[in-house]
Parts: sequence; C-alpha cells; structure tokens
Amino acid sequence: MGGLVKIAWIFLKIGLIFFGGGYVLIPLLHRIMVDERHWLTLTEFLDGVALSQLTPGPLAILATFTGFRVGGLPGALVGTVCIFIPCTALMLFFASRYERLRAMEVVNAVLDGILPAVVGLVASAAWNLGRTSLSTLRDFLLLAAGYAVLQFTSVSPMVVILGAGLVGYLMHFS
Amino acid sequence: MSLPLPGGAVAVISLAMDRKPQVPLREIFRVFFMIGATGFGGGMAIVSLVERTCVREKKWVTLDEFMHGIAFGQILGPFSLNACTFVGYALRGIAGGIVAAVGFIAPSFVLISLLSWLYFRFHELPQLQSALKGTNPVVIALIVVAASGMARAKVRSPAGVVMAAAAFAAASFFDVGALTILAAAACCSLGRAWYGREHA
Repeated sequence: MGGLVKIAWIFLKIGLIFFGGGYVLIPLLHRIMVDERHWLTLTEFLDGVALSQLTPGPLAILATFTGFRVGGLPGALVGTVCIFIPCTALMLFFASRYERLRAMEVVNAVLDGILPAVVGLVASAAWNLGRTSLSTLRDFLLLAAGYAVLQFTSVSPMVVILGAGLVGYLMHFS
Repeated sequence: MSLPLPGGAVAVISLAMDRKPQVPLREIFRVFFMIGATGFGGGMAIVSLVERTCVREKKWVTLDEFMHGIAFGQILGPFSLNACTFVGYALRGIAGGIVAAVGFIAPSFVLISLLSWLYFRFHELPQLQSALKGTNPVVIALIVVAASGMARAKVRSPAGVVMAAAAFAAASFFDVGALTILAAAACCSLGRAWYGREHA
C-alpha cells in the first residue's frame, strides 16, 4: 500500500507541473523516474516513450507504463489517474467559468481574437508531423487519398484511420 | 432539486431556457471511448477527431466554443485530453467532463497496460509499427481537413490571416510553444479591442 501512495503522490506532483503539455514531460519524467527514483533504467524509459507513442493517448500515458513497472496493474491505474487529475480539474474549472468569461466584453474580444492563432497551431501540427513522417511517394498517396475521403465523403474518420492501419499492416510497411 | 411542478410548467421552463435535450452520459462515454480507441497520432489528431465528431456531426458544441476549449487546453497537461474534458463539461457539467476524460483515456490505458505487461515479460516491443506507418499520412490528412475547415470559418479578416500565418510560422519554423503563441495572440487582440474602443 505504501508503494501505491508514493506512486500517487509523485504522479500527482508531475501532473501539477507539466505546463504546456507534451514534450516538456520527457526530460521531467526522465529526471524523476530514472535519475532520482531509479524506477526505470534508461533503456526501459526510452522504450516506454516509444510504447506510449503507439497509443492514441497523450505522452503522459507513460505514467501507466512506469506505474506498471513499479506496482503492477494497481500501480498503473493509480499513476494514470493521478497524473491526469490536475489538468482535468483545471479544465473543469475553466469550463465552468466559460459562460461567465464570455459574457465579459473584453474577454470575449480576446477569445475571439485568438481563434486565427488556434487555426495556425492546428495547421502547424500537420506541418510538423508531415515533415517527420512523410517521405515516400506511398506516404503522399495515402495522404491525398485520406484527404479526399475525409473532405468529400462522410465516412467516419475512425474507419479511415483503422483502414489505413490495416493497409500498412497487410502490406508490411517499414 | 425536485420541485413539485406540473408537467406543463416544466416544459415551459425548459423551452424558455432553450435547453437542448440532455446527452446521456453513456453516449458521451461511447463517443470519447471511440475517439480514444482510434485516434492514433495523438495531439492534434485527437482534436481533429473531436472537432469532426462533436462539432460537425453531432453539433454538441459550436466551432467557437470548441476552439476556445483548445486554447484553454494548452495551459496544463495534454490538450487532447483537455479538449475532450471541455466538450464533456459543456454537455453534462462536471460528470460529463470526467466521463469524457475517462472514456478517452481508457483505451490507451488498456493498450499500454497490455503492452507493458508484454514488454516487462519479454523485453520486446510488439510489431505495431507497420500498421502505424499506414495511419500516419491519413492522420495528417485529418488534421489538414480540420485546419482548412477552421480557417474557412474563422479566418476572415486580413488581420486574422496575418495572425494565423504568424502562429503557423512560429510553431512550425521557430519552435515556439503553443502557450506562448496563444499568449501573444491574446495580447494582440486585447490591444486591438482597446484600440477599437478608444477610436470608435
């Protein structure tokens, strides 16, 4: 039990400090898990990062992997819940104030004013992903086909994504 | 909470408040579980999926509300999860937010637990890589579709185009964090709001 409490406390702390999300987390977790706590070896840590990239979940799902290493399935559950408690709580807080914030004229002007920046951020995600993962003609063909299907038909994106995964699996993409 | 009102009065009140029919928590869980199970690519891929499902198909939230949710979501923790929480809250309050968050994380949790078990047992990564190579380009297509749809709807003025282009460049070429970009954009629009008021 003592182990689980320790896992809970450490992941709660991590959840409280990863502002900005995503890749801030890698050096932070590395320091805590490998250097300070010795819960993982460096190889295990890197493999854990790779594993967590395989899932649809955010990188913070690395907490599940580490928790599993330290405390089995209960450890994985406790670690996962605790790392996500702070951001979920903060988000619920913002969401609950949202209507009231929007009612204030200045806040509303700012909120609407930043929408183009959000568009830029979304577009940039496509750019950054494309730069690292599109290389062959095959990739670009899949991109074009995916765009056509998603833009012009109402096929569920889940079907399209799973279909593309199946294509990759069956044709042994490497 | 159970005031003894006749059925008619309840109907009038709910009409007056213009409430949409409540979305069952089960439905919220189901939708976000599906998103969490198929949203390979993470991050903006999830956001694009949520936009497509909850804004365009189900019309649970408006595009404006959703984009504000993305902006808030950049502050603490993963914004993919935060976007789900935000939509869940808009539908059913705190319970809705938690159900959406749990539904979204659950598939990844199960998958990672399984993979961790295999990994620590056999010290090998299962060969999922080929499948993911296939999904990568399609995930990018999904994000492009979302971005172009948002741009058509929300980038109308020349100033908006400049801001979108600047945000894109800062994030793509100069490695500026999303939170910094949004803070800068907020300062810009705050300045313009003040200026507009002074010179109206």
